[in-house]
Amino acid sequence: MANLSDMIWIESRKAIRSRMPLWTALGSLFVPLGIAFLIFVAKNPAVSQRLGLVSAKANLMAYAATDWPTYLGLFGQIMAAGGFLLFVLVVSWTFGREFADGTLKDMLAVPVERASILLAKFVVVALWSALLTVVILLAGLVTGALIGLPGGSAGIIAQGSALVLITACLVIAVVMPFALFASVGRGYLLPIGVAVLTLMLTNLVAIVGWGEDFPWAVPGLYAQGKSPLTPVSYWIVFLTCLAGMVATYLWWKFADQSR
Amino acid sequence: MNLAIETEDLGKRYGDVTAVEHLSLRVAEGEIYAFLGLNGAGKTTTIRMLLGMIKPTTGYAKVLQTRVRLGSREPWEAVGYLVEIPHSYPELTVYENLEVARRLHPGTPREAVGRIIERLGLAAYADRRTGNLSQGNAQRLGLAKALLHSPKLLLLDEPANGLDPAGIVEVRELLLELTREQGVTVFMSSHILAEVSRLAQRIGIIHDGHLLQELNIDELERSRWKRLLLRARDVASAQRALLAAGQPAEILPDGAIELKNASAVERPDEVNCLLVKAGSPPTQLLVEEEELEQYFLRLVGMDGGPHNG
Repeated sequence: MANLSDMIWIESRKAIRSRMPLWTALGSLFVPLGIAFLIFVAKNPAVSQRLGLVSAKANLMAYAATDWPTYLGLFGQIMAAGGFLLFVLVVSWTFGREFADGTLKDMLAVPVERASILLAKFVVVALWSALLTVVILLAGLVTGALIGLPGGSAGIIAQGSALVLITACLVIAVVMPFALFASVGRGYLLPIGVAVLTLMLTNLVAIVGWGEDFPWAVPGLYAQGKSPLTPVSYWIVFLTCLAGMVATYLWWKFADQSR
Repeated sequence: MNLAIETEDLGKRYGDVTAVEHLSLRVAEGEIYAFLGLNGAGKTTTIRMLLGMIKPTTGYAKVLQTRVRLGSREPWEAVGYLVEIPHSYPELTVYENLEVARRLHPGTPREAVGRIIERLGLAAYADRRTGNLSQGNAQRLGLAKALLHSPKLLLLDEPANGLDPAGIVEVRELLLELTREQGVTVFMSSHILAEVSRLAQRIGIIHDGHLLQELNIDELERSRWKRLLLRARDVASAQRALLAAGQPAEILPDGAIELKNASAVERPDEVNCLLVKAGSPPTQLLVEEEELEQYFLRLVGMDGGPHNG
């Protein structure tokens, strides 16, 4: 794969200079800060009484996350749903912007393999999403410590963190096909629309019990740790990722590009 | 003669709409070829097919002796292009955008970026984000990207768009210099005949997706209408004298006499002598050439001017 390092330089430069990674990182901080706030409210009755509806939600959250294992489990589940939408945003921007900004044509008649250009984009999407995961996890660990959650030991926190990281890896894999939607839709709207539909479908599929065979439900089931995921589920996730990347490549190579 | 561009029966249909049909072009190496047409005539579709961005529904295209295929790496190492509006990454500076273009053309030396910035007069804007550039400077940046890797062939879609008169002259001289000194082939599209007639050696006129005419620049001169207009105090006797001398003279509604035959247009002095001898000396003699745009509109059947019919 010749010129891959140059293509990665180009893609990372575009991302960093756009400040999108910074904005998405700041946005993702709302997840741990929000959870910490609700737990804080639930643990302080004086504040809780003044906040009404927020207090009811806070009590629910506090019930769900009373100690470190459940707190980090909750993060894993939030990563499966919220992280999915966040990472779809990353993929949509990385691929869709070339159409929205009209810059695609400058990448088409060039002496560089189309595969190198696309692989660089996928690499940057994966690194960017991994970075957001680390930001969310670190912020979660700090806030968890600040609100004084009980039941924490190095082993428990490492285990919980591994759960969050593996869930994020599974989510990163299943968002790759959204590069195709960004390309076919020539922008951001189609992938984001399909992502919302996918979330709805995921809930439906999980309710009827087919979740382990539906790639977008696998990260959530993994984060819950209850459902019996088999190796087939992980293969389905891997193949979904691969199929999404190959389909995007074929579309970029063979579809008419008239913009 | 080596051909830089060759197309055979090239065509593109979108459902029932024909964008380009039966297009057979030959552009020799080192030539400046202008592809002229109104908006929507099929110029950009042709350029995109030449660049392998759109798959033709009929025929084929060869660029630098390589058959163009969708998504191929060849022959783009030696081709520079500018298609429609020159977009760039708005968050990157002019320098960074050119650095992106350089890395997309492996083997282009690092110094090429600085050189092209100087050559296109972009030095003052090198560190400015391209989102803040004027239309003219955005066009210069687009041209800089096309020229950065010293291509043998340039495919330029409306290269003068957005440039001020000084910029147009500058780009024209740059393209002429590239052709003269480095043997670069230029294939450019435009909708302004007057602009390309100063630059191109050959012109292809496209209308509704069809190539109407291909002509050299001297053929263009010959193909344009010319007429001799004259005025005299006694128009009727001047006309009689001309008709008697075998010159088909017509009196126009504004009182001028119009002569269209070549002998009159090429020798207005002889017409003058004839009228003086006949006792109806002209008070005004004017050889008028059809405007280039008028000629172009006549060719595409949209002429409403005085030469029509």
